[in-house]
Amino acid sequence: MYENKGLERRSYRLTRRRFLAASSAAAAIAACGPAATPLPSGATPTATLGPTLKIGQLLPFTKVYAELGNSMKRSTDLYLKLKGNKLANRPVTVIYEDEANDPAVGTQKTQKFIDSDRVDLMMGIVATPIAYAVRNAIDAAKLIFIETNAGGNALTRTTTDCKPSCKSKYIFRSSFSSYQISYPIGDYFATKRGVKEVFTFVSDYGFGNESAADFTSGFTKGGGKITGGLKAPLGSADFLPFVTTIKGQQTKDIYSFFSGTDAINYIKAWTQLGMPAAGYKMNGAGFLTEQDVLKEVKEQANGATTSLFWAVTLDNAENKAFVDAYQKEYNLLPDVFAVQAWDGMQAVDLALQAVRGDTSNKDALIAALEGVKFKSPRGDFEFDKETHNPIQDMYIREVKVQGGQAVNTIVDKVARVIDPGK
Amino acid sequence: MTPETAVVQALNGISFGALLFILAAGLSLIFGMMDVVNLAHGAFYMLGAYVTLTVVQRTGQFWLALILAPLLIGGLGLVIEPLLLRQLRGRHLDQVLLTIGVSLVIADLIGLTWGREIRSIPFPSGLDHAIAIMGGDYPVYRLFVIGFGVGLAVVLAVVHQRTRIGALIRAGVDDAPMLAALGVDIDRLFAITFAVGAGLAGLAGVIAAPVFGIYPGMDVDYLIYSLVVVVVGGLGTLSGAVAGAGLIGPADTFGKVLVPQFALALIFAIMALVLLVKPTGLLGRVRIAR
Repeated sequence: MYENKGLERRSYRLTRRRFLAASSAAAAIAACGPAATPLPSGATPTATLGPTLKIGQLLPFTKVYAELGNSMKRSTDLYLKLKGNKLANRPVTVIYEDEANDPAVGTQKTQKFIDSDRVDLMMGIVATPIAYAVRNAIDAAKLIFIETNAGGNALTRTTTDCKPSCKSKYIFRSSFSSYQISYPIGDYFATKRGVKEVFTFVSDYGFGNESAADFTSGFTKGGGKITGGLKAPLGSADFLPFVTTIKGQQTKDIYSFFSGTDAINYIKAWTQLGMPAAGYKMNGAGFLTEQDVLKEVKEQANGATTSLFWAVTLDNAENKAFVDAYQKEYNLLPDVFAVQAWDGMQAVDLALQAVRGDTSNKDALIAALEGVKFKSPRGDFEFDKETHNPIQDMYIREVKVQGGQAVNTIVDKVARVIDPGK
Repeated sequence: MTPETAVVQALNGISFGALLFILAAGLSLIFGMMDVVNLAHGAFYMLGAYVTLTVVQRTGQFWLALILAPLLIGGLGLVIEPLLLRQLRGRHLDQVLLTIGVSLVIADLIGLTWGREIRSIPFPSGLDHAIAIMGGDYPVYRLFVIGFGVGLAVVLAVVHQRTRIGALIRAGVDDAPMLAALGVDIDRLFAITFAVGAGLAGLAGVIAAPVFGIYPGMDVDYLIYSLVVVVVGGLGTLSGAVAGAGLIGPADTFGKVLVPQFALALIFAIMALVLLVKPTGLLGRVRIAR
């Protein structure tokens, strides 16, 4: 395993060097070389081992989502380490590439996986626009792809003329659709909490808009009323103007979709303007208060209610084992992105076992993936056979300060949420 | 929008403008003197924010960071100018390309040193509360940013107009070769100018860190803002940076809340309009061709 790590580090460094010399074809070839070479020791060949399984992981290692990529890589590496670097008795080589949060780069790297690496499976992709951009290439190449983050609804749906994207028999998703993290909490607010009115404030890009629309349909179907909405351009530095506007209207319950830096800046501006004291309540899709945000804003997020399919505090045996193993290996708490990558690996592992490691028969492998059911750190996990989106429980979580630590506590659950697929 | 909200939004806009001024002043200074658009400016800003992160984590002293970060980054500028930029003097486009390279190296070294997580620091104690303005809470730190920006503008103006180094800079902006011919050590002057410009970027990073967060990619985000400010205000003059920041800050703020769909394009539309009507920027000067 030591060699494996060293190898990955080497290939990563080369990838970065290539980034600096983007036009240099020679560097590009050099970067492909070592990563594609079989493992020096992890693959001690014995008579019983099958051929090396190549997995292409397309993750962000630079720009604003870099830490998401790192988290998913850590999770993948840990899973393989615990499995002795073998899946279904095949030694595994993972080829990591940087999607750099850019659809053009993502498309180019996907093509590299298909043409020059000839990977057996592809996984990864954080940003929805990249997933949409590579969908047709993956479908045409009949490459099985496990999407481990991007939640854009269209990736696992039937859409008119496949715009902006649509489901493919080769694409599975181990994360979520934006419907799943937005619609149930809308319905829950209207029917269980008796909230009458909500004002929406979301990040103005595809995913934020989808989240607002799905929340709105869930909330209004349950009898609630949306009194207005506001959108912040992605990466809006200053959130004070937006929060000032929210404070200038009367509806107290706010539904938000933000993540990362935006979520941090939003929550800080929220506290600064004294919103809790003025009676306003922050709610949203779970990324608003995920670990990356919560560890920075701490008790400032106190009271925020969000929905997500996991929380680090989730009380089940698989989650405890996962969190322990991850902490032991990295001395870090895992985040939701790590769970998504972990479940992607679990699904692949189980499906490969079902077909005895044979990746040549795509239809058999697809059927095997459609058939996997397992206990995930998030609870019961299976793919919807129709859409290849996961069927999973949604947890309603509230940020509470316990023992000086701000944590997401589970207050309720919406069972077996299935994306409508249309 | 109620009058109360409008007043608060105006304060938001002015404080954003003040921050943009601190950020753009250094870029403008370097351009005015050296004719180089320093595209590593965003990276210096980012470095300022990360140095602040470390200082605050280690000592809890925001004010120490406010002194330390500009000095460190100014020192870095003092090394980079003679070592790299001077080698390409007179080749302006090559120098600009070089600064892109410097910015990539700095951004990656930051990633290796500090990691690639998104970070945030608390507001400095004493400035972390809110005061009542127009019947609602308003964060004191934003008022501090306004005051700091105005104070810095005054200090820079005095240095520019009333001191010997200011006179040298003004002369250098007008005609650097002539200044050299008069016996002024132009190499030293350029190195100092670059160092001060870099230090100002680092200073902006310190001031912005508690508000805007610290994350990979922040260098590019704010480089773009600072370029817009200096282009609108007029390249190479201090008053231009003031005018540009004074216009772009409030315009960006009101644009976001009044016409959110158009918010991102708004500041670029203003830039395009200014360039059409007055290609040198609002307070830019016609440069002597040489």
